[in-house]
Amino acid sequence: MSIVVSGGRRGLTDPEISKVILAAIPDKPLETQRKMNYFMTPRGKRINEYETLCCYTQPTPDWIPGGLDWGDWTQKFHGGRPSWSNESTEMHSSDWHRHRDPAFRWHALYVKDKAEEWRYTDRFLKAYSADGHVRSIDPVWRDEVLGDYLGAFGFSEYGLFNSHSSATRDCLGDTLRMSIAMIGLDKVDNAQMIQAERTFLAKLVPGFDESTDVPKNEWTQGSIYKGARETVEEIWQGTYDWNEILFAGHMIYDPLFGQFVRREFFLRLSSYYGDNLTPFFINQMQLYHSQTKGVTKDMFHTCLAVDENFGDYNVSLMNMWSDKWLPRTVNALKDFMGIFSKIPTIAGVSDKAAIEAALGRVFDDWQRDYADPIGYKVDTAALIKTVLSGLK
Amino acid sequence: MAISAATKAATDALAVNRAPVSVGAQEVHRWLQSFTWDFDKNRTKYSTKYHMANDTKEQFKLIAKEYARMESVKDERQFGSLQDVLTRVDAANRVHPKWNESMKVISNFLEVGEYNAIAATGMLWDSATAPEQKNGYLGQVLDEIRHTNQCGYINYYFAKQGQDAAGHNDARRTRAIGPLWKGMKRVFSDGFISGDAVECSINLQLVGEACFTNPLIVAVTEWASANGDEMTPTVFLSIETDELRHMANGYQTVVSIANDEAASKYLNTDLNNAFWTQQKYFTPVLGMMFEYGSHFKVEPWVKTWNRWVYEDWGGIWIGRLGKYGVESPASLRDAKKDAYWAHHDLFLIAYALWPTGFFRLTLPTAEEAEWYEANYPGWYDMYGKVYEEWRARGCEDPNSGFLPLQWFIENNHPIYIDRVSQVPFCPSYSKGASTLRVLEFNGKKHSFSDQWGERMWLSEPERYECQNIFEQYEGRELSEVIAEGHGVRSDGKTLIAQPHTSKDGKLWTLDDIKKIGCVFADPLKSL
Ligand SMILES: [Fe+2]
Ligand SMILES: [Fe+2]
Repeated sequence: MSIVVSGGRRGLTDPEISKVILAAIPDKPLETQRKMNYFMTPRGKRINEYETLCCYTQPTPDWIPGGLDWGDWTQKFHGGRPSWSNESTEMHSSDWHRHRDPAFRWHALYVKDKAEEWRYTDRFLKAYSADGHVRSIDPVWRDEVLGDYLGAFGFSEYGLFNSHSSATRDCLGDTLRMSIAMIGLDKVDNAQMIQAERTFLAKLVPGFDESTDVPKNEWTQGSIYKGARETVEEIWQGTYDWNEILFAGHMIYDPLFGQFVRREFFLRLSSYYGDNLTPFFINQMQLYHSQTKGVTKDMFHTCLAVDENFGDYNVSLMNMWSDKWLPRTVNALKDFMGIFSKIPTIAGVSDKAAIEAALGRVFDDWQRDYADPIGYKVDTAALIKTVLSGLK
Repeated sequence: MAISAATKAATDALAVNRAPVSVGAQEVHRWLQSFTWDFDKNRTKYSTKYHMANDTKEQFKLIAKEYARMESVKDERQFGSLQDVLTRVDAANRVHPKWNESMKVISNFLEVGEYNAIAATGMLWDSATAPEQKNGYLGQVLDEIRHTNQCGYINYYFAKQGQDAAGHNDARRTRAIGPLWKGMKRVFSDGFISGDAVECSINLQLVGEACFTNPLIVAVTEWASANGDEMTPTVFLSIETDELRHMANGYQTVVSIANDEAASKYLNTDLNNAFWTQQKYFTPVLGMMFEYGSHFKVEPWVKTWNRWVYEDWGGIWIGRLGKYGVESPASLRDAKKDAYWAHHDLFLIAYALWPTGFFRLTLPTAEEAEWYEANYPGWYDMYGKVYEEWRARGCEDPNSGFLPLQWFIENNHPIYIDRVSQVPFCPSYSKGASTLRVLEFNGKKHSFSDQWGERMWLSEPERYECQNIFEQYEGRELSEVIAEGHGVRSDGKTLIAQPHTSKDGKLWTLDDIKKIGCVFADPLKSL
């Protein structure tokens, strides 16, 4: 037959074409090694689908540790700065391709989870509104705390989200790049969920202000988020080292400030104010937090801290970065204590003893999960005392 | 409204209306533009000579969760088809062998482009000031992760199910050996991520995506299906559904800088450079993959090129940007000439260097030669008879001791590499417009094949310092280079690359190459 195929005839279904194709196909496969990326070292016993689809997609030369390519960049920045370079971070690695998302999420798995969360959110909100739940929310909590202060916290999440842009550009490994973009997307999702809750409330409660004006004013001008804002600005735009950005945001600021605000303030207190709506959203954020924790602990603890050549050096750098970012985060929490004067105190829930206990949980968790693994010595009682000095 | 009154109003409202209410993506997106705030250090980490406007909007208005929903619906369809019916009908073993080989390159090289686009759009997300514009780029960051995984999935699928897994299973390790790789990195990798952020956006979105995505991703599906491959259309058409948003991002990039004075000074130069950069590689390589990498032909590449690059992009798309001062690139006319012969020139060289590939190449058959001559009159005299000579000397047979590269040497047709595009060319044996230009800088010689690249190099030589394969391999024996680059199959001796796809033909081994004693030389040294 002619080799010209027109009119959308398809080789798989067109009998004439497929006859030619089948005649050309070798009688038995030419290669027995059918495993893609068979040459790589898997994290577990076998190369999984995530590793097959993600690992070594990055074409870096071997002078960036772990790279399989050779030679120079074919085009550089104006002035000759390289596309990617070891100088983009103070951390050292023997292989920048080592990181794994512990949940092995490639794109399809990541969006599948989030899509389910969105569908469920939609169903939940419909049931919540039809059920008339909103009547039970304490009006001060609803209008001031959710309207203003939860709204303002959205800016913290949005700023952290943006801190992932340069890290997505500059990092030195493929699994790293994908993880960074995904944990970044979760942060903007948090900011959007906060706005979604406020918009939802505005639909149910006539007069509830869904606009971002007041929260933004609170975030930029108010005293409660002053320390947080300054820290977020510094993580987002003041820091160039992509590992430091991730470390400051995910190993110090978010596990302390973010956890206290989300889990110990909004999540824990909401039910006392008749609010069953906020926990629905915060719980999603907490899920993202725990997934992100797995990701960043893998980057810093599982990979960098125990690197066969640079582990000790990396650990001492992580200690230095902790020295740098911990006081700012403590200060952010201290400023945040101002929020307790805005709500009616509930004994055993939002009085000083309860706040101290809440801080204790957050600092204990952080010490166990983040400080201890890098041998960072910290006097949490003293830090908690400093934070509590912010109570009005 | 006073708080207590609001509560009462809410209660009253609920007493009469319990209709279920939810929140839509658009209702959240509406507020996105106000999510940012001003502060001293709020500026991009990647310098650009342009200023992107603070109020730039995006067209698609997605939020994170809605994005995920949309993509996961597409994923279900796509992976459902692949894993279900296509596997059951053994579709990977009903693809023409020539095309099976082409997909080793196409899918893997596209994967590199997709991968680098993650970093590129990360940079643009950083550079934009408007939250909506950032959001548009963010969506693309995630899309490009998706596309990276999807391209990988093609090779994964062909490796697992198809007729020749070698090359599909290890392209990420072996792709760097041959002459097509560095040029691919220029267009698909560094061109997207290294430079002025807006210049990178022009490379990626305005040219790479708006211009070459159609020929690359859409045309490839037509060639694929003609040659029995239904996996590629299943995946690539799903990729294509995201590309509309990326082209819109490119459009918005131009809109965001349109009122900036820098745009009137630099935009058209940047566009011209970006167009030439992209076309210099894609025009010959795509044409070569389609025409020489298939058995069944859909249409001559020059026609596809004219329709999509010249008319659609150069005319309609650029025309639409005319109101922002964008002009059709000056290099478009030279590119049009390339679209006729450049891919034929390149295949001659690529075939001559076949042992450095991670795929099998095939000499044109007699009926193909007829098709070439009919569509490109003059083809036989220039190329056809050379292929006949090679075939007659046994270039397909490992016992012949003949590599077509020897023909270039015997006939004194040195192959050079253009420093800027990294595309190989043979000035003394080509029908395309390549001319040899050699310049010396810092004690090193540089060859160029066209005026546009030469100009880019002359104004910024420090951006194009990359050594080429001849400099890298100089003095080394071919089989050694192949072994070092892992260009062998799992038996440890048979090459992944072969000069034929015939099922009865013998396969070349490292020893067959070693016997020939081919040693790399840097042609610039002998000038
Ligand atoms: Fe893409
Ligand atoms: Fe794209």
